[in-house]
Amino acid sequence: MNRRLVTWGLAVLGVLILLANTLFVVGQTEQAVVTRLGEPVRVVNMVGRNTDPGLKIKAPFIENVAKFDKRNLALETDEEEIIAADQERLVVDAFVRYRINDPLQFFRTLRDQRTANDRLERLFNSSLRQVLGSAASNDIISARRGELMRRTAAVMDRSAASSRLGIDIIDVRIKRADLPPQNQEAVYRRMETARQQMAATIRARGEQQKREIISAADRDVAITVAQAQQYAGQVQGEGDARRAEIFAQSFGRDPSFASFYRSMQAYENALARGDTTMVISPDSAFFRYYQRGAGGG
Amino acid sequence: MPWNDNSKPGPWGAPQPGGDDRTKGEDSGPRSPWGAPPPPGGRGPSGPGGPRRPRRPKGPSGPRPGQDFEALTRHWRERAERFFRGPDGRGVRPGAVAVVAGAALGLWALSGVYIVQPNEQAVVTRFGAYVRSAEPGLRVHLPFPFEAVEKVSVTNLQRTDIGGASSAADVAEESLMLTGDENIVDLDFSVTWRISDADNFLFRVADPEATVKAVAESSMREIVGRTPFESIVSTGRARVQQQVEQVMQTVLTSYGAGITVVEVQIRAAEPPREVIDAFRDVARAGQNAEAAINEANTYRNRVVNEAVGDAAAIRQQAEGYRERVIRQAEGEAARFNQVHAQYRLAPGVTRDRLYLETMERVLRESNKIILDGNGSTNAPIILPPDAFQRRTAPAPQTPATTGAPAQAPTTGAAR
Repeated sequence: MNRRLVTWGLAVLGVLILLANTLFVVGQTEQAVVTRLGEPVRVVNMVGRNTDPGLKIKAPFIENVAKFDKRNLALETDEEEIIAADQERLVVDAFVRYRINDPLQFFRTLRDQRTANDRLERLFNSSLRQVLGSAASNDIISARRGELMRRTAAVMDRSAASSRLGIDIIDVRIKRADLPPQNQEAVYRRMETARQQMAATIRARGEQQKREIISAADRDVAITVAQAQQYAGQVQGEGDARRAEIFAQSFGRDPSFASFYRSMQAYENALARGDTTMVISPDSAFFRYYQRGAGGG
Repeated sequence: MPWNDNSKPGPWGAPQPGGDDRTKGEDSGPRSPWGAPPPPGGRGPSGPGGPRRPRRPKGPSGPRPGQDFEALTRHWRERAERFFRGPDGRGVRPGAVAVVAGAALGLWALSGVYIVQPNEQAVVTRFGAYVRSAEPGLRVHLPFPFEAVEKVSVTNLQRTDIGGASSAADVAEESLMLTGDENIVDLDFSVTWRISDADNFLFRVADPEATVKAVAESSMREIVGRTPFESIVSTGRARVQQQVEQVMQTVLTSYGAGITVVEVQIRAAEPPREVIDAFRDVARAGQNAEAAINEANTYRNRVVNEAVGDAAAIRQQAEGYRERVIRQAEGEAARFNQVHAQYRLAPGVTRDRLYLETMERVLRESNKIILDGNGSTNAPIILPPDAFQRRTAPAPQTPATTGAPAQAPTTGAAR
């Protein structure tokens, strides 16, 4: 009975080992290269061609399977300091999206993902330097960034194809294209001075307006007062003229009496206040009788 | 039969690999070790359950907690043997094996039942290959080695923060960007997105979450690099957000990522910390300018209104003057006219009378010195100084007609 059990057990074990070496699973996101004694013989679930993932069969023991990712993969590169065409330095940080589109070639040239990443990174660096090195820094930062990214991707794709990597470069995107730290300081200085300039201008404009308003106000004041004075002169002149007219009309009837009458008024107004000391000769008209008696006239 | 060998550890440690489930039901012999005592005690002796068990107090039939391993094993083994052994105490009871096998099969089949929540979409793969998508509800897939299910939330919004999740946790290398006019802006933003296509999301792109972040960063820098600084920190924010959203969506669609960008939101766009004082000073300068203008306006309002008042006063005074001099002149003229009318009736008398009356009034009030010039010689006449003194108040000096020197005032009256 024990022997029977052992036999059965060995049989089952043998079947299981055989099955494990015959069946293999290729996931939806994978593609596989089947090699017979190291020589690739067929590809399973290859990008864009035969999409047939699932449970697969191979010849046990003599065939092996190498699986590769089928998805859109990312390669994050380290920061690279590059020199643009105008000699300005830029720190560029980018990522590459790629896909293994020919697992057979990929398997032959690169074998595994780690080697592939090293190779791709070198390829990326040279492509980036080639494309960005011939562009002005301003183009990299702003104006032609999209185009340069597309060109880098194209250059990279071409060299990947020519060195038969079995890789399709989908996209190259620059994440950062910044100035190195020492240049950043210069930018900060420039931003600061630009702002200081702006602040000074704003303050000066305020002061300018203030002075304009004040001087305009002063002008308005002068004009207002002057207009009033002009009017006043006019009105006073009218008064004086009317006065002269009135007197002329009245006194003109008898100029000699008017003269006498007005003189009398003037003497009285001018002298009759008691603050005058008069040295009078007794032979003045006033003293006619005083000196010569009643018959003096 | 193996059951007779229960005293040996053999059946528990049987070397069959797990894959033999497929051979179920054909022969109860080889698989009986697996159908053996139903859980939980069945694995006690060999599985990780063993050491755990003593912690749980058992009924009177169970071994005392803390009792040795051997006793525990023996207890469960005895129970299992009672269950499987035929009534005569020998061989295996076939019914018991069937029950155990059936239960295991049922459990295995049930492992294929799953629920898709209303906010989810499920993707079923058979041996790794995509076979179907499943909508919300109670669903079934073939159990373990054949099919597997992966559920993704398709309605829930996911959020990716760039430049630090909050201003406290600022990530400078993510948030400092060069603008179109080569200034530097400190910009934090968030992307809200959702999975629009579960199978693309799962199968087309490696690490979709990291992809969203990388694409977001790259797109934002591309757009910011084209936009002048002023526009980013002030009015152009909405446009930047919209453009980034477009670029991101285009890129992600080209990757076939199965992701829809719902919103790009700039949380903060400020000048870098190094220069923020200068920027604040610009704002202050604006306030200063406003203040200066306000001061000037205050001054203007005051002086202009005062001037209008002054002007009115000048006008009124002038009009008053005109009125006064005219009236006075008319009064004087009327007086003269009347006196003149009487004068014409008796010219000589009136003239004399007017003269005398006037002189009377004049001389009554004045200091008087009467000199008879006829008898005088050429010698100067000396007058005492107080002759020029006013009778009442301090007198102003009045030069004498004859050239007598005016003297310093002294008190005393001269008549």
